Amino acid sequence: MEGYELVRRAQAGDARAFTTLVRHHERSLYATAYAITRSQWDAADAVQDALADAYAGIRSLRDPDRFGAWVSRIVVNECNTLLRKRVRVVPMEEPPEPQAFVWDGPEDGLDLMRAVHGLSPDHREVVALRYFRDMKLGEIAEVLGCPTGTVKSRLNRAVASLEAAMCPRTEEEVSR
Amino acid sequence: MNCSDVRDQLEAYIADDVTDVESMRIAEHLGRCESCAAAYERTRSVVADLKGISEAFVPRDRFVPHPAYGTGPAGGWVWRTIAVAASAVAIAAVGALSVPAIARELPFGVAKEFDALEDRAEDLQQQVDELTVRLEAIDGEQVAMVDTTPGDLAPEEAAAVQQLAMDFIRAQYAGDVAALEAMGTDRLKADLAARPGDYVREGAEGLTFAQMTEPALAEDGTYLIFVRLMDSGDWNESQYQEDFEIKLIDGRYLVDFMGMDA
Repeated sequence: MEGYELVRRAQAGDARAFTTLVRHHERSLYATAYAITRSQWDAADAVQDALADAYAGIRSLRDPDRFGAWVSRIVVNECNTLLRKRVRVVPMEEPPEPQAFVWDGPEDGLDLMRAVHGLSPDHREVVALRYFRDMKLGEIAEVLGCPTGTVKSRLNRAVASLEAAMCPRTEEEVSR
Repeated sequence: MNCSDVRDQLEAYIADDVTDVESMRIAEHLGRCESCAAAYERTRSVVADLKGISEAFVPRDRFVPHPAYGTGPAGGWVWRTIAVAASAVAIAAVGALSVPAIARELPFGVAKEFDALEDRAEDLQQQVDELTVRLEAIDGEQVAMVDTTPGDLAPEEAAAVQQLAMDFIRAQYAGDVAALEAMGTDRLKADLAARPGDYVREGAEGLTFAQMTEPALAEDGTYLIFVRLMDSGDWNESQYQEDFEIKLIDGRYLVDFMGMDA
């Protein structure tokens, strides 16, 4: 069944349709939340709360085709709420995190995720929405409430940082 | 288009987020500028890797909506996480390759179950996608029931196992060690005597049964059942899980093992 039809059915109160819809999105939503919060459990909490909100509020979504961007926005907001809360917590040595996810990706993928975690919060956000949620510049701008040009320049800088982290250029290349 | 314009558009070009005209101009420039072509290749590689991990995080807890009942927040609907780490469906959810890794983390009886399930991982994946959760009244409580092994047990057998698990948990919250003893096998009684603190729980006022798996029968005759619950104790914000191994001895269902799980 197409996303559009699933959203319509979920809006009509069909819990199974909503569940199916969530299955299509959950992995990339988790990846997004993990990129932003840098904590597996915060990410899991953020997605859980976001999906609860999405389910409660799905009738307010006017255009079913926009479900992906809409739920992304809810997840980003939940993540930022969590991050704000966390700032007030006195920092201390953190115990190693138990895993909220099972990794089902390439072996070196976690190195890349670590590189994403090394970016600034603004950059983590745009990278996650662009590549995990597969969103266009205009959609990201809408979700984040900032101009398209800002998203574009953040993305350019973020990708440049990732390139530097993942495949540092040789001096010869840099001097060109 | 000069090099600077192209570099500025490179990320959007790779993400297919430029107009057709821009796309043609950039492609044309890349065809004749070695330096920009190298930059393109570097960015393209990172972007491909990023896309490659977008689906790599498989949550251990998945989400299923279901109607609120009694203790849920006002508003009509609540969510509960499914105790996937403990249920057979979890294994299916992460696919055949991940089965052994997870199985090793689980109690022996469960691990054995999973070994048997491994071959059927693909079928199970299908089942997970269509996973049904229904509300069932058990001893006057509405509990969300996860269909992990539907049809394996006779209804009265399943009901007796579920009832025992719930009675056991209630006795834990009542601090009734004698009742716990009466519900346990010798193995459990010995453990209870050695570590009573592991069994008695506080925060009974907020005790909520969130979810329960359908009991499963392992090859050695042990029933496995996992119950997710919340209480009003220190950790009232989150659910936790109790894993039970139950045995049928002389016509009576008795708890042989109870372990706590996240």
